Amino acid sequence: MRNIQDLKKDEQDVLSLKRRSKVVFAFLFILILASIFKIFQLTVLERVNYSVESEKNRIIEVPIFPSRGLITLEDGTIIAENIVTQDIFIQGSLLESSKDQLDILYRDVLDLERKFPVPQTTKQNQKIWLARDLSSKELAKYEFHKNSLSNVKLGISLRRYLPHKNLFSHVIGHLGPITSDERLSLSKKDYPVDSFIGKVGIEKVYEKLLKGSVGKSIIEVDVYGNKIREIERIDPERPQNITLSLNLKLQKIAREELGGRRGAVVALDPNTGMIKALVSSPDYNPNILNGSEKGILVKNSSKEEAPFFNRAISGSYPPASIIKPFIGLLGLEENIINESTIIEDVGFFQLKEDGRKYRGWKEDGHGRVNLNKAIVESSDVYFYQLASQLTIDRISNFLSKFGFGMMSGIDLYNESKSILPTRNWKLGNIGEAWFVGDTINIGIGQGYITSTPIQLAVSISAIATRGTIFRPKLIISNQDSKKPEIFKKVQIGNEKHWDSIEKSMISVINSWNGTAHNLYEEDGILIAGKTGTAQIKSLVDQELTVREEYEGVRQNIQDRDHALFASYGPVPNPNLVVIVIVENGESGSAVAAPIAKKLIEQNQINLAE
Amino acid sequence: MSNRNPLDYSLNRPLSKGYNPIRYLFKDVVLYLCLLSILIFGLAMLYSSSGQSVAMVIRQSVYVFFGLILMTFISHLKPDSYKNILMHSYWVGLLLLIYVLVFPASGYSTSRWIDFGFFSFQPSEIIRLILPLSLIAYLCRKESAIQFSDWFSATLAAFICAYLVFEQPDLGTAIIVFTSGLIPIYLAGLPYNIVLVYLGSAALAAPFIWANLLDYQKQRVLTYFDNNVDPLGDGWNIAQSKTAIGSGGFFGKGYLEGTQSQLNFLPESHSDFIFSVVGEEFGLLGILILFFIYTLIIWRIFKIGFEAQSNFERLACSSLGFIFLLFILINVSMVIGIIPVVGVPLPLISQGGTSIVVHLLAFGVILSAKKPYL
Repeated sequence: MRNIQDLKKDEQDVLSLKRRSKVVFAFLFILILASIFKIFQLTVLERVNYSVESEKNRIIEVPIFPSRGLITLEDGTIIAENIVTQDIFIQGSLLESSKDQLDILYRDVLDLERKFPVPQTTKQNQKIWLARDLSSKELAKYEFHKNSLSNVKLGISLRRYLPHKNLFSHVIGHLGPITSDERLSLSKKDYPVDSFIGKVGIEKVYEKLLKGSVGKSIIEVDVYGNKIREIERIDPERPQNITLSLNLKLQKIAREELGGRRGAVVALDPNTGMIKALVSSPDYNPNILNGSEKGILVKNSSKEEAPFFNRAISGSYPPASIIKPFIGLLGLEENIINESTIIEDVGFFQLKEDGRKYRGWKEDGHGRVNLNKAIVESSDVYFYQLASQLTIDRISNFLSKFGFGMMSGIDLYNESKSILPTRNWKLGNIGEAWFVGDTINIGIGQGYITSTPIQLAVSISAIATRGTIFRPKLIISNQDSKKPEIFKKVQIGNEKHWDSIEKSMISVINSWNGTAHNLYEEDGILIAGKTGTAQIKSLVDQELTVREEYEGVRQNIQDRDHALFASYGPVPNPNLVVIVIVENGESGSAVAAPIAKKLIEQNQINLAE
Repeated sequence: MSNRNPLDYSLNRPLSKGYNPIRYLFKDVVLYLCLLSILIFGLAMLYSSSGQSVAMVIRQSVYVFFGLILMTFISHLKPDSYKNILMHSYWVGLLLLIYVLVFPASGYSTSRWIDFGFFSFQPSEIIRLILPLSLIAYLCRKESAIQFSDWFSATLAAFICAYLVFEQPDLGTAIIVFTSGLIPIYLAGLPYNIVLVYLGSAALAAPFIWANLLDYQKQRVLTYFDNNVDPLGDGWNIAQSKTAIGSGGFFGKGYLEGTQSQLNFLPESHSDFIFSVVGEEFGLLGILILFFIYTLIIWRIFKIGFEAQSNFERLACSSLGFIFLLFILINVSMVIGIIPVVGVPLPLISQGGTSIVVHLLAFGVILSAKKPYL
């Protein structure tokens, strides 16, 4: 039973409790206010940020890469395609927790030489490729151990494959992992970190066409990167297939004939500029770099072999005697000589009585020589004299009309600019004034002048077409209606001079004293040609006899002369210009010329079919 | 003879509104309905946040069901009849805390769990509510005024529990256990000169406590100050939780449509972080409605408390009311990133049988303070 005192105490207790409750509540009220403010901030003020953040969490874009465009020849022969390889990957987020599985993978499944790749990124959603291009044996072992390899997954990827392997290596080129520099200028979306990109050749030049545009699949993922569903899909734009003007048979012959020797062959149609064969030797198997084939890329090659170096467009060689028809043509044009002008070739040329002796290749000389004989027998002395009379200014001006000293603009990367020296060029690059002696050397294509095989082909085609040079091209595109692009047009005063030069070039083969008479066949195709022997070890400055110079110093293969042969045929209406260069091949006629002849003949057969 | 005091404050109230079996059984219908709606809402949220696991919802429903029966049972007991049991339940709690330290369940890095095979629980979840009740029972065991020494024994009892939890080690829960012990002591009328002594000694002890913290505990405190310290640990959890709530906006993404929780970006979404799921799927509106119901519950607790007849009942209700509010606040503040991560579930909603049953038991005690009007 309660009494009044109790009630009073109760009343006091309640009052005290309420007072103290207010104090406690005051403390908690701070937290209440803070929470409500923060919730308001999250859901109202910063809502947009968090929505974006939440979308970023769950939605990822997976690029869909179109398979790379095919490269074919006109007859439909496929020379670059894509093949499927089986690869093994793991999700980046599972890497840490799958150490045991990786142990099994590397111990029991993969070949011994496979090494664990260092993951480049730690991004959770990224796939880490553990092994590329599994062999059938590895695949079988994978299937066997599949149950204990739940996190390690099998994936497929497309690899570039060239069925003809080495044959088109210097034309097609290869792909390679993209570098960070390359990525800078490209869209990050099209080229993820581990993507491949054309590194040289057609693959690089027409990378954009061959690549197509990347599509995307927008998918929803959970925190482990597992796909929940596809939200949207934008299909990739299929890339274009590329058709090349090359001819399989010509290409094969050119490669076989070079037989691995260092050298290059360029064959083009002078009427269109279309390249029919382009071979640089030695070559390599692009499939190994593309990751579609295994093997040793280069077998202990010496530095000089340089199998990746495209000699056909990047090799700089002295044009040597191949320049003689051009110098002769200039002489005729400038009226310094005519067809019957005769020079006494005694084996050497001297500017002054007691001056330096510029030796011809034939010790005793060619005797009385006119222009025709000078080209047919390749008299050096005739052209020493002619060049000295022409002066360098006229020579370089005239040669530049034929494309000497410039790039042909062929649709390949790394074309070298050949050198066509002028007075200013020498002053700028050598730091010396031009001497008449320099001009004399230019007269036989030696000295400062250099040419690339493709440039020589372009220049020679001017003679074949009587002055019209088409831009050399590999790709036959559907778009620009096959209309060949004119590169240069050479105008000369007297059109008959063309015939005169061509006649001499035919005689190089057909005449008994021609330097390439070994090609002559009675009922054979009429071919115009010019041999060349490019000195690389110049011994002019030393007082050596011709015999010493020509026979004594050839122990070292690297010092031997380059064999050159420039030709076109059949005359009249030539349809193929062929330039052959065999490094250290010594004899243009014996080594280089037969290759050219075979190509011209095969081209005739091709056209007849 | 009426047992009503002639000087009762509720003098003008009718003695009886007529017999109503529902009012009799549930005692406080508003509180009961609020609890039911929160519990049902909690089960719905659990279904959404557990990856739509029916098994988990059924398991939780069983706890809810038994919890409600326990609550209703206790609500019809006279507080005096179980006061002593409550006081001595302290020793049970203490034993459990010691047991968990000596025989920790395997499979956990900290010794917080007791595993009975078919079900496991954390003693600290029980002690959080048992401690304040037993302390009030202790302080109110006599009719006379509380003696000076009782304040210290009560404080010591709370401190021992907190220390045992701290040794598990679980700093956050230790602080919460200690706070839930101090609230009833303070409400019971702890003299202010003792309050000053306590504050002074706490200030002195602070550097020693910091020195004794484990690395990960320090890390958690530091994480609170800079979310970038450990973006994939606690900081990541908080960031994902904030993203969930923020992206919910005002109306939310819709039930079962929360991408953060459904796609598992939200860690612990069914237990400690279930509030983020509420925010993500129901938005600010849902949060406000939830807060409104919580507010109603707390209002009813204090109403019952201030109208109760005995000091024990008043203290029990107001203490439990504050502790209930405190748990909500700690969980919400943790989830939205204004306090460090501590293991406190959202009362009555988060997954966890122990938490639900102990909370409903506490509501039973609160309801028992309300006299049935027959």
